[in-house]
Formats: sequence, structure tokens, C-alpha cells
Amino acid sequence: MRKYLVLASIVLTTAVVAYVTTYLGALGPLGLDTRYLAKLFLANTYNPAHRELTAMSPEAVTSIVWDFRGIDTLYETVVFYMAIIAALAIYRGVSYSNVRRGSGLSLIVKVVTKLLIPINIAVAVSIAAHGHLTPGGGFQAGAALAVVSVLLAVVYSAHSFVELGVNLSRAVALRSAGLLAIALVVFTPIVISALTGTQAYLMQNYVKVDSAFSFPAHVQSQLISGTLIWFNLAEFLAVSFGFFIIFMLLSLREEVVREWVGKEDEH
Amino acid sequence: MDFSLVLLALFSAVGLTFTYLAVVEKDLVKAVIFSAIQSTAYVAILYLLRAPDIVLVYLPVAVGLYPAALLFLIGKTEKVEEE
Repeated sequence: MRKYLVLASIVLTTAVVAYVTTYLGALGPLGLDTRYLAKLFLANTYNPAHRELTAMSPEAVTSIVWDFRGIDTLYETVVFYMAIIAALAIYRGVSYSNVRRGSGLSLIVKVVTKLLIPINIAVAVSIAAHGHLTPGGGFQAGAALAVVSVLLAVVYSAHSFVELGVNLSRAVALRSAGLLAIALVVFTPIVISALTGTQAYLMQNYVKVDSAFSFPAHVQSQLISGTLIWFNLAEFLAVSFGFFIIFMLLSLREEVVREWVGKEDEH
Repeated sequence: MDFSLVLLALFSAVGLTFTYLAVVEKDLVKAVIFSAIQSTAYVAILYLLRAPDIVLVYLPVAVGLYPAALLFLIGKTEKVEEE
């Protein structure tokens, strides 16, 4: 009975949503014409003629994410940073040194994974480094690289992190390096403004109407889109090692964690 | 008729079916696998809707990281949902 009720509700919802979005036109004039806001972004994402408006990147999404609404993304990064601090706080005192060597999965899976991991790393680095040119960016690349941590934990067991020399403090250090790099790019215009006495703004990418400060858009005629490439690479580091920390902690055996957490309670 | 609309309808149906299966399934490991299949259908939908940036983030998160995190958590708790 419950099954038929669920099925009926799915069919009814689908029918109502289909009717409202097509015959009643609830989505507005979709697909008929490019909307005004989209036109505005497309005209300004790569436009060397308007340096005070453009992000100098053919990738509209990265331009919006790290330039036009850069401060939103900065706070998103902070939220992710805080979430990982919470995870580290729950697992505080847990050490990776006494993790026992697990057997992992079968040899076939291990060999296939060994071949896949370098490809995965290459794809992730490419998504990050080309984030200002093609679809992708720091978070996408970080999530792609984080899959490596899952593969290591599941296929080779948590001990593989120890063998590869990736321990928690190193992962935290690399993640902090990424966040420091983001902060450096954010505050560079302010520091230069203070040193030279000129006007500049937080997270400024290129010249504005009342400010001459600008990050270089090209290096050796290669388009790097000012701050965008640096933000993407730094976010890549911060996000990928943030996920590494999470999966290193989650892949620990429950007994090991209980042993450590119990130890702390005794004090 | 635009062929991408047919594909959209097809992948939506696959996504909906596996969402339903994931919700009613009592074995949590199976439910996570159904959820991952549903995410794969959504990846195709997002690609057809010309959102490659979202595809690049949705694919590793929804098919790789999220099921992995859930499986680790199921491993630490109970495999079968109780009434």
C-alpha cells in the first residue's frame, strides 16, 4: 500500500511540475533569448576594451566565482575551513602512527587503482591550472583530487597514507598554505595601496575607475587572468587537503579512535 | 523535436527511479549505491543543460566522496535501517 502511495505521489508531482513549467510558463521565457544578466556577464568576462569591468577570463563561471562575487567565494572557503576544524576537533589527539597495516582489496583492484591515481592527479591539476580558461576551478579540482584519498583508504587501507608520508599535520599544513595563499592575493592590493599611497580595494583584480592597481593578466603572452589563476591554485590546495583530512580521519578504525578518545577522558 | 530533450527526460526518469529505490531500501549500503546511480543520471542532466562547471564538481562529490563518506559512516554504525 505504502509503495503505491509513494509511486502515485511521484507521478502526480511529475505531472503537476510538467504542467506548471510548460503550459503555465512558470519558468519564464527560457531558452528563447539570452537574458539581460547573461548578456552583461558574457560581454564583460573577457573584454580587454573595458579593463575596469572585465575579469579577463573566457570562463564566465570562474570570473563570477572569484572576481564579480569574489567575497562570497571567500566566505564559502571559510565555511569549509571551519567545518574541517570541527572534524579535527572531534578527532583531536588521534595519531596516525599506530595505524595497523590493513590488507585492502584484491591485487587486480590495487593494480588498476595504481594506474588510475596518476591520471586522477593529472586531471585534477589540469582542472585547477586551466580553471580560468575552461570549465573547472579550484573547488572542482580539489574534489577531483580528494577522490585519490578515498581510493587510497578503500583500496590500500588507511595505512597507505603512512607509507606515502601523508600524515595529518602535513595535510593540515598544505591546506593552511592554500588558505594563506588566498589571503595573500586578497590583501596584496591593500598592502600595495598602503605602501604607495594610492587607492586600491580588497580582492581587486584589475584597474577600477578610481584605482590604477592591477594584477598582470598575461605572463609571457599566456593569459593567466590576474588573480583568478592564483585563487584557483590556492583553493585547489586548500580543498583537496581539506578532503584528505576528512577521509584520513573517517578511514581510521573505530577501535583506534575510541582508544584515543577514551585516553583523553581519563585525564 | 530536440534530441537533448528526449535524453533529459530519459535521465530524469532514471534519476527519479533510483531516488525512489534509495528512499525505500532498508539495506543502507544498497541505498548509497542507488543514490550514486541517481547522481550519475543528474551528472548527465547537468551536462545536457550546459553546466560543465557543475558537472566537474558534482561528479567527484556525488559519485565519489559522498557515497564514500556514507559508507565509512555505515561501517561505523549499522548496515540495516530499523523500523
